[in-house]
Amino acid sequence: MATTKLGFIVQRPPYKSENPKLALTHAIATQSVEVYLNEGDMVTADIAFIGDGVLNCKKDQKAMDYYGLTSTDQHIKMALLVDINIWVCKEDLEKFGLSEDDLVLDAEEFGADMTVNVVPYSEISKKMEEMNHLLFF
Amino acid sequence: MKLAVFVSDYRMTVDTLDRLSPEKMGIILVQNGVYHATLKENGTPSSILNKSAEFYALKEDLETRGLDTSMVDSKVKVITLGELVDLMFNDYEKTAWI
Repeated sequence: MATTKLGFIVQRPPYKSENPKLALTHAIATQSVEVYLNEGDMVTADIAFIGDGVLNCKKDQKAMDYYGLTSTDQHIKMALLVDINIWVCKEDLEKFGLSEDDLVLDAEEFGADMTVNVVPYSEISKKMEEMNHLLFF
Repeated sequence: MKLAVFVSDYRMTVDTLDRLSPEKMGIILVQNGVYHATLKENGTPSSILNKSAEFYALKEDLETRGLDTSMVDSKVKVITLGELVDLMFNDYEKTAWI
């Protein structure tokens, strides 16, 4: 019996590349791998947004209205719905003149209990050390 | 030469824009280029906005990223895709995408 912890680190802004969305969809997909694991084994996924990656968390994205794409903030809400921990680097957010008020922080409308956590980079760094595997996007 | 330059990245890896010196230049911020119009890293607007040019940012790409037009720097005019087409046909002779 073992738990494998995956840490997805998103460091690029949304939309120009698929990278941030791949991080989110892969993290969400970890919820469905149980069928391939031995009984008692688990895989967990946590996501951290750092650097330009914090821009993914901006609320009120209208990608569906203009381009027919599921917006990145909706993917973040889906990740919260499946109980994935999400951290956003406080220093990088402040560097861009943004605050928590500018971010998608919860998915209450979908019944999610989890919320996005804005934390100092030192805390994200500690979490990264706890992970078995780190995947950078 | 009247040149319209599309800037579609926030982090620029080439210095081509610095080397261009047309008689008239329009810098059109699209895709992730729209962050130049809105973000002030450590309180400082993007250095692109210091260039001698007319600046435009695409409304659709701003709002796709959750950026309100009220966040846009006063040097930059917000335009729609339709207005962009008019701009390309009426105001500039050539376009470049960097």
